[in-house]
Amino acid sequence: MAKKFEMTKVEKNDALTKVKKGVLGVFLNAILIIFSATCIFPLVWMFYSSLKEKRVFNADIIGLPKSPTLLNYKNILSNPDYQLGTSMKNSLVVTACSVFLIVLFGFIVGYILARVRFKLNRVLYVMFLMGMLIPIHSLLVPIYLVFKNTGLSNHWYTLIIPYVAFGLPTAIFLVEGFVKGVPTALEEAAAIDGSSFSRTLFQIIMPICRPIMTTVAIINVFTCWNEFSFALILLKSPKLLTVPLAMTQFTGQFGSDYPKIMAAMLLTMSPIVVLYFTCSKQIIKGMVAGAVKG
Amino acid sequence: MLQAIKPKKRVVFAYLVIPTILFVFAVFVPLVTALVNSFYEWKGGPNKTFNGLTNYNTLIHDPTFWLSFRHNLFLVAVCIIGQIGIAFILVLMINSRLVKLKGIHRTFGFFPSTIAAVSIGFIWTMIYDYKRGIINWFLAAIGRGDLQKVWLNEEKLVMLLVAIPLVWQWIGYYMVIILSAISSIDTEIFEVAELDGANAFQRAIYIVLPLIKNTLLVCITLCIAGNMKAFDNIYVMTSGGPGNASMVMAMYGYNISFNQSNLGYGSTISVGIFVMSLLVIGGSQWIIGLLTKDKEA
Repeated sequence: MAKKFEMTKVEKNDALTKVKKGVLGVFLNAILIIFSATCIFPLVWMFYSSLKEKRVFNADIIGLPKSPTLLNYKNILSNPDYQLGTSMKNSLVVTACSVFLIVLFGFIVGYILARVRFKLNRVLYVMFLMGMLIPIHSLLVPIYLVFKNTGLSNHWYTLIIPYVAFGLPTAIFLVEGFVKGVPTALEEAAAIDGSSFSRTLFQIIMPICRPIMTTVAIINVFTCWNEFSFALILLKSPKLLTVPLAMTQFTGQFGSDYPKIMAAMLLTMSPIVVLYFTCSKQIIKGMVAGAVKG
Repeated sequence: MLQAIKPKKRVVFAYLVIPTILFVFAVFVPLVTALVNSFYEWKGGPNKTFNGLTNYNTLIHDPTFWLSFRHNLFLVAVCIIGQIGIAFILVLMINSRLVKLKGIHRTFGFFPSTIAAVSIGFIWTMIYDYKRGIINWFLAAIGRGDLQKVWLNEEKLVMLLVAIPLVWQWIGYYMVIILSAISSIDTEIFEVAELDGANAFQRAIYIVLPLIKNTLLVCITLCIAGNMKAFDNIYVMTSGGPGNASMVMAMYGYNISFNQSNLGYGSTISVGIFVMSLLVIGGSQWIIGLLTKDKEA
C-alpha cells in the first residue's frame, strides 16, 4: 500500500512544474488585474466621491461615502451659469456635424482619388497626405489669425472647419486603400446598366465601403469630442464652449471643491463612457485599424 | 483606376471642390499666414512692422524655446519606453494560456485612451494634490508623511509627473494594437518553438519581436508624433510651470501669442514648432528606414 504514496521522479517533476505554473498563473493574473484596475480606478473613485459632500470628501478622500448624496449633481444641473448642459449640446452638434462631413467627404474624395483618372489626381492625393504629416499644433496661432480676419471665429460652426480639415487626410487615405481592393467590375456593370456616376457612387459603392466608413466615424467621434486646443483659441463666447473648455472653466471656478468637479466631469464624460462600454469591441477594432493603416 | 468609364469633368470637380477648399483654408492658409507674420514685429495691435529675420534670430537664441523642445523630446523618450515597453510586456503576459479575463483587460486597458486629455489632466491633478491627493494620502497611510510634497511644484520632478498620465493613458492603446498584431501570427510557430525547448523569454525575443517589428515601428511613429504636439494635459496640469519647468513647444507658442499677445514672435515659434516637429518625425523615419534595411540585407 505504501507504494502508492511514493512518487516516481517524473511524477515529482510534474507536480513541481504544476506548482510553478500555478504560481506563475497567479502572478500573471494578479499583475494584469492590477493594471486593469488602475485603468478603471479613476472612474470608480470619481463616481463614489461625487456622491460625497465636500466636507466629507476632504476628511477622507478614499473611503466609500457613508451617506451618499446627489447634492452635487442637483447643484450642477440646476445652475445654468455653469454651462455644462450647453457645452454638452455644443460638443454634440460639433462632433455630429464634423464626423458626418469627414465620413462623407472622406468617402467621396477617397473614392475619386482611387478610381478616376484626371490630371491633378496625384497632386491632390499628395496634398491630402501631407495633411497627415503636418504637425497641426504649429497651426494653433495662425489659424486663430486666419479665423479672426475672416470673421469665422466664435460661431457654432467654427470648430467644424478645422476638425473636418484635420480628419480628412486619414479618412481619405483609409477609403482610398479600401476602394483599391474592390474590383472595378461592379462599377463597369453599373455603368453598362445606365447608372450615372453619382448613382453608382452612393448606391453601389457606399454600401460596400460601410466598414471603412464606420472606422473613420469611430476614430473621429472621439477626437472631435475630446479636442481642446483649437476650441480654446477659436471660441470666446461662453454659450459656444465645448465640453473640454467648459470643464477647464468649471475647475477654475471650483478648484477646491473636488466632489463637485468630479460630478461635473462624470456628467460630461458620460456620453463617451456609455458609448465606449456599450460597443467597446467595435470601437477598439476601429481605432486599431485606423491607427495601423493610417 | 476605372478604364472604361469616364465621368464628366464637371461632376468630379463639383465633388472635389468643397473638401479641397476647406482643407486648403484650414491647413495651408494658416501655414502661409504663420510664415508671413513670422517676419513682423506685431503685438496684436494695428501696428505691424517688418523686421526681417530678427524674430528668427531671437528664436534661435531663445533658451525657453529650446528647453521646451528638449521637454518634448523627453516626453517622447519616456513615452516610447513607458507606453510601448510596458504595453509589450503586458501583451506577453496576456498571451499566456494561464491568464483569464482577457476580454476585460482589453476593454478596461483601452478605456483611458478614449477620454479627453483634459479630463486625464484633471484626474491626475487631483491625484497629485497636496491636501486631497491620493499620493500624499498613500504616503501618510504608510507612515511616510514626511515625503509629502506639493508634487506639481517640484521643478525637478514635474516633467516626469506630467509624463506619467500620458504613459498611463496610452499603455492600453498600444497593448491592443500589439495584441492584434500578435494574434495574426500563426500559432503553429509558437508551438514548434515550444517543442524545440524555447522558453517564454526566448520566444518573446526571437520570435514575437521580429514578427511584429513593423507594428512596433508604427507604434513608435505614433508615439513621436503624439508627443511632439503635447499640449492639453500640460495646459491643465501646470501651464508649463513652475517657471518653465514643464514648458513644451505648443504651450510656449500659446503663452507668447495669447498671454503676452506677441503674435509676431508667436508666429515665428509656430514655424519653429513646424520645422522641429517635422525634423524629429522625419529623422526618426529615416533612422527606422536605415534599421529595417540593415536587417533585411
